[in-house]
Amino acid sequence: MTEPLSFLLAYFVFPGLLFTGTMSLLFVGIDRKVAAHMQNRIGPPIWQEFFDVGKLLGKEDITPAPAQSAVFTLAPLLSFGAIVAVMLLLPVNSAEPALVLVADLIVIIYLLNIPAISLMLGGYSSASPFGALGASRYVLQLFGYEFAFIIAALSVAIRVGSLNLTDFVNYQALHGWFLLDWRLLPALIASVIAIQGKLLRVPFDIPEAEVEIVHGPLTEYSGPKLALMRIAYDIEILAVAGFMTALFLGGPTPFDIAGVHIPGVVSFLIKCLAIVLLTTTIRCVTARLRIDQAVKFFWTFAATLAIMSFVLVLVI
Amino acid sequence: MTFIIPVGPQHPALLEPEHFRFEVKGEEIVDVGIRLGYMHRGIERGLSERTYHQGLYLAERICGICSHSHNLCFAQTVERLAEVEVPDRAEYIRAIVAELERIHSHLLWAGVAAHEIGFITLFMLFWRDREHVQDLLELTTGNRCYYSMCALGGVRRDIRPEHLLKLKRGLKVLEKATKHYVDVATSDRTILARCENVGVLTKRDARDLCAVGPTARASGVDRDMRRDDPYASYPEIPFEVAVQPEGDVLARVVVRLREVLEAINIIREALKKMPTGPIRTKFKPEIPPNQATVRIEAPRGELLHFGISNGTNKPERWRARTPTYANFAALKPMFVGGSIAEIPIVLASIDPCMCCTDRVTLVEVATGKSRVLTMEELRRIPK
Repeated sequence: MTEPLSFLLAYFVFPGLLFTGTMSLLFVGIDRKVAAHMQNRIGPPIWQEFFDVGKLLGKEDITPAPAQSAVFTLAPLLSFGAIVAVMLLLPVNSAEPALVLVADLIVIIYLLNIPAISLMLGGYSSASPFGALGASRYVLQLFGYEFAFIIAALSVAIRVGSLNLTDFVNYQALHGWFLLDWRLLPALIASVIAIQGKLLRVPFDIPEAEVEIVHGPLTEYSGPKLALMRIAYDIEILAVAGFMTALFLGGPTPFDIAGVHIPGVVSFLIKCLAIVLLTTTIRCVTARLRIDQAVKFFWTFAATLAIMSFVLVLVI
Repeated sequence: MTFIIPVGPQHPALLEPEHFRFEVKGEEIVDVGIRLGYMHRGIERGLSERTYHQGLYLAERICGICSHSHNLCFAQTVERLAEVEVPDRAEYIRAIVAELERIHSHLLWAGVAAHEIGFITLFMLFWRDREHVQDLLELTTGNRCYYSMCALGGVRRDIRPEHLLKLKRGLKVLEKATKHYVDVATSDRTILARCENVGVLTKRDARDLCAVGPTARASGVDRDMRRDDPYASYPEIPFEVAVQPEGDVLARVVVRLREVLEAINIIREALKKMPTGPIRTKFKPEIPPNQATVRIEAPRGELLHFGISNGTNKPERWRARTPTYANFAALKPMFVGGSIAEIPIVLASIDPCMCCTDRVTLVEVATGKSRVLTMEELRRIPK
């Protein structure tokens, strides 16, 4: 009896919908505020993302006649469901994720791609040239960054000798963060570049470059569907940052300050915020690349770095 | 297989409505078609129904950004029609405001260009520094936009001695900022990746398609109305014409930023050399039958006003040819062979001003004949 209840609690409250939703919207708010200050603007208040999503939820849902299909409607739900599931598999409060012994690294990498794939499906089924073009660009970009990302993650897995994130966290608790491991440094750089592409941030916001193709795959979405897509995207930021935290920053580590016990989730959030702010900085100091330049960059620079780490970890 | 990407009339890359039809093969552009006319306001006709004094303000409203250029060009054409000489001090003030406007227009453009390549930070910084020149324009003319500085036979407002210090201080800030931006634009890797060898317009194409202004100068065509057909006080001020031979988007960025630096020097020189004296002469509104053409160098390139007077206080016919209109033909060689991702920056690189450009000709599709509408028919169209 307790198991289904604790599962429901995990899915809906912590670290599921409520916690993840609140924190990721807040993170995006912080990201927007920090970006604004970097650009010498005042920027919106940090809870602006809540207002935006709330407004979208209350808006009318308009689907263009040629886009009316199950795929177009289900894409936001699929994206949203998959990305919340990732949060249940990440070590958020302690080395143990909410769902123990269910899935490993491979499943998480797979689930992290579902939002991208549902965005592409949504784009292709939206019957708009901008949506189709954005989706085709996204496919190209996916094949660019994903290789570097997977190889970088696998390098860490080989270093630990396990595919389980709990082992990653425990290993780092004993031997120090992988951030400081010189053999994994190229993998770290490669994955920072890859997540910039994964999260569609400048210089890799090519699939939704607003001046070129309006809003890419999201062009025809409106109202609650757009809000769901937006929340899924915001949660993806937190999930990817959380994944990076588990890979390189030692995951959630409880600590004591002056006798007060700070739970692991706080250090998890701080580390995630550090990664989000790193991506914010990168997006503020670069211009958008062209899709061919981006793919070339992923396959030459990022992939080489990741493979370098992979070889180093295997040999030494 | 090719398919059509419509850009406009509503599109985030366009600040004003205009329609472009891009025929693309994958990401590559094969052909481009342009359709104008969404912003036609009937200003040329409006000018011939107003007196010269009223027309001065209407001409200014052809363009919101290079408003002083239209204002100046209109005033000079009317003065040439009436054969009136303008006092020296007024000529200097006209040139100073024209150069301030050039700085404002180029910085605004640079911000837009940065936005087109997704460099939001640079966009914000350009527009932050543009505020300095806006302040200077407000100081000298009293307005941030639509300066209305020219009057027929002179200028409306004098540059007072207490303005000089503020002007000099503002110019110093602008000079420092612009020098920094030249460094950024020519060294930042992502900017170079997006601008170098993109949208190339060869010197031959630029000359054949009659490109004007910074677009032509970035393709190595050494043409500048301030030097080639001098007006206002430009003959007395030495300055250098910025020419770059490369013809790509980066060259257009560099030409404009160099022009900003040159404009700062021109203003400094003009403030130094400016004679004292009256700023306005008497102007009689009835102008005997005559014809006149004036060309000036607006921030976007050569601007031409042509007027015919008929003895009354209203012109018989007025014609304005704006720089963007002259540059549209040059867009095709820039686009063809490029990719979709280059559309916004290449389109922005000629600094298009759509509302300046819009012309309407009604053509019967079946017969190919064009016809002219009366004012009443034109008014009925939107309804």
